[in-house]
Amino acid sequence: MHKKMAFSFPDEVLEHVFSFIQSDKDRNAVSMVCKSWYEIERWCRRKVFVGNCYAVSPRMVIRRFPEFRSIELKGKPHFADFNLVPDGWGGYVFPWIAEMAGAYPWLEEIRLKRMVVTDESLELIAKSFKNFKVLVLSSCEGFSTDGLAAIAASCKNLKELDLRDCEVDDLSAHWLSHFPETYTSLVSLNISCLGSDEASFSALERLVRRCTNLKTLRLNRAVPLDKIANILRHAPQLVEFGTGTYTADVRPDVYSDLAGVFSSCKELKSLSGFWDVIPDYVPAIYPVCSKLTSLNLSYATIQSPDLIKLVSHCPNLQRLLVLDYIEDSGLEVLASSCKDLQELRVFPSDPFGAEPNVSLTEQGLVAVSLGCPKLQSVLYFCRRMSNEALVTIARSRPNFTRFRLCIIEPKTADYLTLEPLDVGFGAIVQYCKDLRRLSLSGLLTDRVFEYIGTYAKKLEMLSVAFAGDSDLGLHHVLSGCESLRKLEIRDCPFGDKALLANAAKLETMRSLWMSSCAVSFAACKLLGQKMPRLNVEVIDERGPPDSRPENCPVDKLYIYRSIAGPRFDMPPFVWTMDEDSGLRLS
Amino acid sequence: MELQLGLALPTPNMLKGFDLNNHGLDQLKEMGGLEAWNKAAGCFADKDCVKSKRSFEQAFGNFTEECRTKPLLLWSGQPNEEEDHKDQKKATFSTTDENDAEEDDQVVGWPPIKTWRKKIFQQQQQPRVGRAENNRVAENENGRSIYVKVKMEGVAITRKIDIKVYHSYQSLTNSLITMFTKDKECNEDDYILTYQDKEGDWLIAGDIPWQNFVRSVQRMEIVRNWG
Repeated sequence: MHKKMAFSFPDEVLEHVFSFIQSDKDRNAVSMVCKSWYEIERWCRRKVFVGNCYAVSPRMVIRRFPEFRSIELKGKPHFADFNLVPDGWGGYVFPWIAEMAGAYPWLEEIRLKRMVVTDESLELIAKSFKNFKVLVLSSCEGFSTDGLAAIAASCKNLKELDLRDCEVDDLSAHWLSHFPETYTSLVSLNISCLGSDEASFSALERLVRRCTNLKTLRLNRAVPLDKIANILRHAPQLVEFGTGTYTADVRPDVYSDLAGVFSSCKELKSLSGFWDVIPDYVPAIYPVCSKLTSLNLSYATIQSPDLIKLVSHCPNLQRLLVLDYIEDSGLEVLASSCKDLQELRVFPSDPFGAEPNVSLTEQGLVAVSLGCPKLQSVLYFCRRMSNEALVTIARSRPNFTRFRLCIIEPKTADYLTLEPLDVGFGAIVQYCKDLRRLSLSGLLTDRVFEYIGTYAKKLEMLSVAFAGDSDLGLHHVLSGCESLRKLEIRDCPFGDKALLANAAKLETMRSLWMSSCAVSFAACKLLGQKMPRLNVEVIDERGPPDSRPENCPVDKLYIYRSIAGPRFDMPPFVWTMDEDSGLRLS
Repeated sequence: MELQLGLALPTPNMLKGFDLNNHGLDQLKEMGGLEAWNKAAGCFADKDCVKSKRSFEQAFGNFTEECRTKPLLLWSGQPNEEEDHKDQKKATFSTTDENDAEEDDQVVGWPPIKTWRKKIFQQQQQPRVGRAENNRVAENENGRSIYVKVKMEGVAITRKIDIKVYHSYQSLTNSLITMFTKDKECNEDDYILTYQDKEGDWLIAGDIPWQNFVRSVQRMEIVRNWG
């Protein structure tokens, strides 16, 4: 019966139906129904997402999806953000660009995360894709403003240029002038990571003035406060705005100009930037606060009283990023003022100080969890925690989907009972049934992993550091977490047994990272031999792993599933274990 | 045993982009790594020239006599390691693990804060003005430009360059070659680029990751390669 129905629709109808299916998961499911659906789906898939650029080769992607318009690629493992992945590890986008440039000229969107992007790649993009519209580079590196100039000069239909958290070689701010005077299609520009001092303000102002569809503009720190008014004056339609440095000599005329211009921005929903803030200028944004849904103050070094005043003006806030200067008292105000809050991130102002410099404790997080019914995503840095607080948080906020807690000192126990925090995190996974992402910290034994394996059935990503007692901990996670896709572990006493016993599990995940653990070289070799669809990479800057005894632990291990086989662009300190039970050096 | 001295094998990759150093690279490969390091360090101890931070002269002057075949493998202040109780994770092991020499006893990559954000914090916490010595000529408060003196052996003029402008050893050396060949005709293979780090030690440029180098370089000198 079913088979008959599937064939009774002409392809065009099916294609039309499929066009309403946007999520990759659903599309993948659709393509598995039958052969003809697979064929139809692959011809009409317009957006491709590759979570690990080494899991598949560019050619394979192009072969299967001949007409995609948008691609998203991710490169380095997440821990690269914290300097745990040595420079030169990989994640080069050029081979992808080269293949795509050859395959078809109608690519419109490229989104990259943690990849190495060279000027050559950017120039190739500029040259090859005539209708190129969107370039989003998130935590990427390897390029300079020269590459950006090429994009600016050639991409006539560019709508979005977003460089978030990138390391850019800032040779000159004049790249902005490469946008031709006739170019007006910019909708979103994020240059917050650029450093150049001699920012070309006039080119920026002219660009903003002529791009009347501009909705998002995030400036970099180099743009002084007194220039912002001029820029905003020409873009009252902005929905998202990021200031530059928010400090200047206090002058009433500059202040009123700024306040006036903010008042005229009726559509503004999101603010960010605020480097080097001085409190006197903060009230200038009060006119827009009531409409704000997103506020990023994570670079703003203003103290609690000023933060409290600001936050009290923003009743519709859904997303807040802030430094721990907000303190417990500020978070209590947040809890009572911002009932729509969904996401909170509190960053440490003095992460390397031995002593706390602010009065921010677990109480702040408890207050927000109790007070904000829609809170689902939290990233919280603090210096002390208790099981009691965690249980309260879990019970009051079972709708958490992302819970990332970082207690700054590794292996910190419950400050009230001096016990491990197993029970607290156990409560989190037990009550928060939709938890997709979890980061652990503090003193933790194998028990917390038992809880996680038992309860965290929807967990997709787990980050672990300085935790656990034995392989049992790792075993609980690998055997219990059914939805696990990404597991990253550092400085835990996990060794060979759990890894080898759960080898098959690794093929159901995107990747596993283990550094400063107890996995031996022998185990890595075995895994590489037995699991041809896994790339087992040993990263060790001390020298070849076979120059030490086999049972020596490797420094860093990165395992990911791949249908592309081992890669060939590895630096000298990375070895792939493969079926030849030997080493493959690049 | 070989790691006792805290010697990091500079991987060929790190030295790759660095033309001036190519001589040394070949020799390093020939000598097969660790033995050479041991030898070099032994040479040091014999010479007894390493009780305290040495001047550039001492470092390279004494050397070249005894260790002619491996001038580029020498690591100033090596035997100091035992006595040097300053909590310095001085580019010994995998140097790319070091986030920043300022966080001396910090665990690498902990707390988990993005590099990008950490940079901002450090710029906000410690305005770098106070650190300036003569050599690090000028540094903007937010660390935008870092001017460093560069001297070339045999050339009277000392130049100043903004190290922030470069993104790799390759780009730096290319620029230096261009600059100095105007002053003195030379074969670039005959020279090595050395630098003085925050501790006052003279090291050969190219061993540590670029970003770490930028943070610690105080001044540079291009010297003749005696190999």
